[in-house]
Amino acid sequence: MLGKNKRSIATFSLGLILAMAMYLVPGMTSDAIAKEVFAEQVFAEEAFAKEVQAEEAVEGEGEAEIEWGQDVFYKDWEGNPLKGPVSGFPAPELGESDYNNYEFAPSRMLLWVANQQHLYFGSFVLAVPIFCMLIEFIGIRSKEEDPVMSAKYDRLAHDLMKVSLTAYSWTAILGGVLLFTFITLFPGFFKYMAGIFRPVMHVYALMFLAESGVLYVYYYGWDKMKEDKFLKWIHCSLSVLLNLIGTVLMYLANSWATFMQAPGGIDADGRFLGNIWHVIHSTLWNPVGVHRILGNIVFGGGIVGAYAAYHYLTAKTEEERAHYDWVCYVAMFIAIFGLIPLPFAGYWLMKEVYAFRQQMGITLMGGIMAWLFIIQAVMIGLLFFGANSYLHNGMSRVKGSHRYMKYCKYMILLLICCFTMWMTPHTIVMTPAELKAMGGAQHPVVGHFGVMSAKNTAVNLMITTTVLCFLLYQRANKKINVPWATVGNCWITAIFIGAAANIIFLGVYGYFLPANQRVGLSVPQVTTTLTTLFAGTAINISMFKDSESYGDIQWGTQSKVGTYAIFLLAISFTWLMGLMGYIRSAVRLFWHVTEVVRDNSVDAYTLTIGEAGKMLTFNTLFVWTQFVVVFWVGSLTGKKVVTQAPEGVPVPAQQQQ
Amino acid sequence: MNKALISFLVFVVGLGVFHNAIFPIFTPKEIGWILNRYVYFLLFVAYLIITNLVLRLKPPVAMTALFVWGLGFYFYKFVLYPPIPWTLFITYMVMWSIGTFLFISQDPETFREFRRPIVKTIVGEYKLAQIVVLTAMPILVGFATYNTIYPSYQEPVELRTVHPAPPATTKVHGKTYPLESTNNPFRVDEQDNYKDSFPFLDADKNEYMKYVTEGGTIFFQNCHYCHGDQLNGLGMFSHVFNPTPANFIDPGTIAMLQEAFLFWRVSKGGPGLPNESTPWSSAMPPWEEHLKTDEIWKVILFEYWYTGWHPRTFGTEGSTAG
Repeated sequence: MLGKNKRSIATFSLGLILAMAMYLVPGMTSDAIAKEVFAEQVFAEEAFAKEVQAEEAVEGEGEAEIEWGQDVFYKDWEGNPLKGPVSGFPAPELGESDYNNYEFAPSRMLLWVANQQHLYFGSFVLAVPIFCMLIEFIGIRSKEEDPVMSAKYDRLAHDLMKVSLTAYSWTAILGGVLLFTFITLFPGFFKYMAGIFRPVMHVYALMFLAESGVLYVYYYGWDKMKEDKFLKWIHCSLSVLLNLIGTVLMYLANSWATFMQAPGGIDADGRFLGNIWHVIHSTLWNPVGVHRILGNIVFGGGIVGAYAAYHYLTAKTEEERAHYDWVCYVAMFIAIFGLIPLPFAGYWLMKEVYAFRQQMGITLMGGIMAWLFIIQAVMIGLLFFGANSYLHNGMSRVKGSHRYMKYCKYMILLLICCFTMWMTPHTIVMTPAELKAMGGAQHPVVGHFGVMSAKNTAVNLMITTTVLCFLLYQRANKKINVPWATVGNCWITAIFIGAAANIIFLGVYGYFLPANQRVGLSVPQVTTTLTTLFAGTAINISMFKDSESYGDIQWGTQSKVGTYAIFLLAISFTWLMGLMGYIRSAVRLFWHVTEVVRDNSVDAYTLTIGEAGKMLTFNTLFVWTQFVVVFWVGSLTGKKVVTQAPEGVPVPAQQQQ
Repeated sequence: MNKALISFLVFVVGLGVFHNAIFPIFTPKEIGWILNRYVYFLLFVAYLIITNLVLRLKPPVAMTALFVWGLGFYFYKFVLYPPIPWTLFITYMVMWSIGTFLFISQDPETFREFRRPIVKTIVGEYKLAQIVVLTAMPILVGFATYNTIYPSYQEPVELRTVHPAPPATTKVHGKTYPLESTNNPFRVDEQDNYKDSFPFLDADKNEYMKYVTEGGTIFFQNCHYCHGDQLNGLGMFSHVFNPTPANFIDPGTIAMLQEAFLFWRVSKGGPGLPNESTPWSSAMPPWEEHLKTDEIWKVILFEYWYTGWHPRTFGTEGSTAG
């Protein structure tokens, strides 16, 4: 069991890392691979172009019939814009007749709601199969060692799929609503996008069909394929297939959004240049994809956690409480595991945004969107607080945890200090009188926290602290017996102290470097944090060999504060996801497709922070209302008669041997 | 005597003594490594911890939380100097309050202990505390309401973007410059080999220092009145402007920007800013009306040379193959 059985922890962690690698490695390496492929492709295209031109010259007596356009983004090896045959119509200059609206709300807001709701649900249904894949895998692996737990894992995965199945239909319905909103309210824009992405949209629809087919076989074949060992493995393989199709689906849909933000594969007039891969694989495609996969995992973990937390608080029997307490833990484990690398994926995305258009980067980080990033910083701080609060409270129910609980307050102090640095704005909102009292626009002390050197340092220390907290949680009920226990503890201590020293040193050093070099320091800082995560966890788990237990985790005794922290995390994830989506989308300002299709609608304005905040809150509340309905619908099929707990001290199933 | 009461007195009396008697000693005109307000604060915290430990007072969790919260308030309100703006103070206190809450709720036992006196006050077991709280609360709410509706004559705060996104191109003296690809034509020493040189002495020896010297001359003829002779934004006129002139020493200003960005800002001045930066509230003139293009570039060169910063550059690897 997670948190109880050391082998399961190791398997689970390994599974997560492998799953992560399965998604991340292609994304991270695709640039390098793409460059090689690109070189061959450019060569082939140029050769083909020359052939066609030569043929045309012969056939048409020197008159070329095919028009060649220059790509707005792609360049050849000499740095000149890549040429391609014009294969589409120019981007329309949209007028009044290209936009429709209802009286009761601006079209943009309606589209925003439709889009965001579909994205929330899409995110959830893409995340759940990842969890199920992992949980089912652990269940199969632990069947011989612990059949009771194996059955528990299997039941959990099955329950999650049940909820996901209802959510899947809901997602499809919301997708339909989104499509109709585009067609009816933004017909001119949608016509252009459909012209460019016509084949992608059909492939997308077919992939949806494939996803549905695999999903239904996976869910409805669960019981039939459960008993036979071979069939069970086949069933688990179906979840891998399901995830692969889901990922392709998401990447295809991502290509529309990334094309709108940073187009490629078209000329300056917006004419398609014949290569659909260029249109799909625009510069932000990979970072957005990786960022969304991680975001989906975190979001899905948050929702499953909140679902379990609700059931935990309303559970009637001790067994139920123990079960849902454990589910909360699994969900939080997955969410936090996704949360830790998420900021790094965000950095990659921002780097690509800056590389595409410096203006866009400045608008995001220093310009009109900068205050939304401050709000983002607050929300991320809340996530770390919530995660740590959950771990602290969770630790207190583990026998033997008193050895480590005394460090919690120092970790909280460190988190607060880092958070103070993390969210101190460079430009402070103040009255003229306050400005004069301060002696300038920057405060001589806290003003130093306004730049990226301080922020990177703060966030890396916060992540490192959370990792430390998790390691202490893992070993809370264990009496370490390995002969090298002292050496191991020294190594863990040295790793953390060394990491903190290195992160702080690099942060301070950044103040003495030019900005372009300072930005590069984030790489060793991140590497330090990740080294701490992987090396610390590896040593910690290795030390559990032959360890004695002070007692099992008392599932079902989690405090209410710790449980409410899960709700905080789930709502924060939802709000934050909406916020970052809005920022990414709104940075196009008055363009539907950056520098190609101008937004000439009456809604082409940037919202005030307050208005944006209200919309985000509405979307969050709306989606959570739907989630409650979906969970309720999902629970209708599985209503069980509540059995009265037997008298005496109940023994939760997780603790039965 | 009740230990909790002693602990409370240690805090309150100690704070009074420290603030009135010791704080002035630690805030002399010439601030040193020891005699400064932050060392004073650490001393006060150390006094509190040591006194409570030595006397074995073990204050209840609710009181410890009050002390922790109070220490944060005291630091941000009285110790941190110069005083921080109200918005920042509120932000910091919210964070500190969350931290205090995390501290008391780190496990069910401490949280239960924290709640106990509150619950007892509410249900009436602590009669006196209940009377005090129920009397004080309406007064506090009334006072807050009074403060909120009392008219204020201060200028409203404004959310101004300091570094707005630049346009793709800018036209100066009839020539169009693409900002992403324009570099300073006078930056002939890419390695900054002369950053420690003295401009007027080396001016005749190499081209780069000649341009820096010329830029410096233009700066002191035109810019230093506002931006200061140390380029720290504290020129002789700076105090009458809102927003104050940019501080080039700060790592958050020119150190983060491309030279082309500065070229655009200097050329177009306040009136050339986009709306998000409230062009009407910047006093900087459009220098293209007073300086030649080359002079603007030389001033920019001087600003980077003087402050020791290097202009921001961006990698181009992302724009080739995608």
